[in-house]
Amino acid sequence: MMATEFHPPTAADVYAELQNIAQRTSTFNRLVSTDAKIAQTPKEVIWTLNKAKLYRYVSIVPEDKRHKLPLFLVFAIMNRPHVLDLRPGHSFVEYMLKHGYDVYLLDWGAPGPEDRNLKFDDYTLEYLPRALRKMKAISGSDRFNMLGWCLGALISTLYAALRPDDGLKNLILLTAPLDFTDKTAGGFIRWTCNQAFNADKLVDAFGNVPGEMIDYGAKALKPVENFIGNYLKLWDNLDNSKVVDAWHAMNTWVRDNIPMAGGAYRQLINEFYRQNRLIEGTLVIDGERVDLRRLNANVLNVIAEADHITPPCQSEGIMSRIGSQDKEVFRVQGGHIGIMAGSGAEKTTWPHIERWLAARAD
Amino acid sequence: MSEKNEAFNPFDPTGMFKNMRDTSMDAWSKLMIQLVNTDAYSQATGTMLDAWLSSSAPFRRMLETTMTQVLSNFNMPTRTEITSLAERLTNIEMRLDDLDAKLEENPRGARRGAAKSKPESNSGEGTK
Repeated sequence: MMATEFHPPTAADVYAELQNIAQRTSTFNRLVSTDAKIAQTPKEVIWTLNKAKLYRYVSIVPEDKRHKLPLFLVFAIMNRPHVLDLRPGHSFVEYMLKHGYDVYLLDWGAPGPEDRNLKFDDYTLEYLPRALRKMKAISGSDRFNMLGWCLGALISTLYAALRPDDGLKNLILLTAPLDFTDKTAGGFIRWTCNQAFNADKLVDAFGNVPGEMIDYGAKALKPVENFIGNYLKLWDNLDNSKVVDAWHAMNTWVRDNIPMAGGAYRQLINEFYRQNRLIEGTLVIDGERVDLRRLNANVLNVIAEADHITPPCQSEGIMSRIGSQDKEVFRVQGGHIGIMAGSGAEKTTWPHIERWLAARAD
Repeated sequence: MSEKNEAFNPFDPTGMFKNMRDTSMDAWSKLMIQLVNTDAYSQATGTMLDAWLSSSAPFRRMLETTMTQVLSNFNMPTRTEITSLAERLTNIEMRLDDLDAKLEENPRGARRGAAKSKPESNSGEGTK
């Protein structure tokens, strides 16, 4: 048995340790309160409308080696899309550029008070088709691939079902909230379907739903991890630059909250969460009924097994209802954001998406 | 042979609680996730939010009315007027986008037409 020897600390030891703690505290405070440089991949704005912007990323593969069909990325309307291009060396956009894709990203922008009445109708049939039209003009290709994440996947699905002949060949859905049949599934559905919750009153009071409120709601679904565990992880790994850089970049994205247009929020809660209109076949977008059987693009549905925001059952129900012949469900261990931005994304999710797309991209 | 005890560091303020923390965190987390997923929690937060929105509504209305009157008296535009102007600008922007689309479509259409007619002229040359 080994003997344990305790060396009483000297005054110099105490001073050095106190300095170390002060240094760590200072670093911690800096990381928590400052922004890291994110979304660094070179890009140009090729189209704007109201607050929305369409970016085209600068290709790094010679034109003759690029895939013919461009890749169009659509993120949620209540967060910045920078999570798709988090930091150099760990960016989905960068990864797809390296694999020869012509990548476009639609940034919806932060809605102002004048946008309080924007609905999914506007995002799906006013903004998205215009951005796609510009992408087609720039890329010279009438056919394209589209990747939608979270509410971006919902908008992409609506568009694919409403405009099946508009050139969409491959549709990738990431953690798509589409099927709200199970009202006890967890996530937001329990809160929003409770009769005490009044979305109309909330929108009437605020106009647009504040980003901080949405952020709080998302964090409150996993309160211990998000309000405590997240910061303890940083404190424990302050000496590990790899973890610190990743944490800082992610925290920068998480802190950058934007409001959600009131009209879209009202519609999301009442027509999707509560009435499940998309799956029931009663959803009407800009006067047109959304028929999922009309969706004929190839579909890859990526589901996060540990998603607390969009539980798997909200994504998988769509597969039997769409008209696509070529469709696949890909399940990944991880959370709502982690499957695309976590440390394992470039080993699991990104290669699978790239392989699936490459087999169908030309 | 003696060995320094690495597990115990009297100067690390979090060290003493770390082991205890790590073992309890997982259980605590699961408990909280269960709690926020109950109907009682949904009911409570919904009721609280509703009560706050209802009680603050008269003050918001009063503030809005007062602010509108003050701004009007100073000959300054109100929030509603600015918002309405911004909405009109967005509509104009959409019309410009439509015009842009039409302008872009013409050269594209012309290019397509040229591409279609090209093989014909080539074949014509070949017969000469």
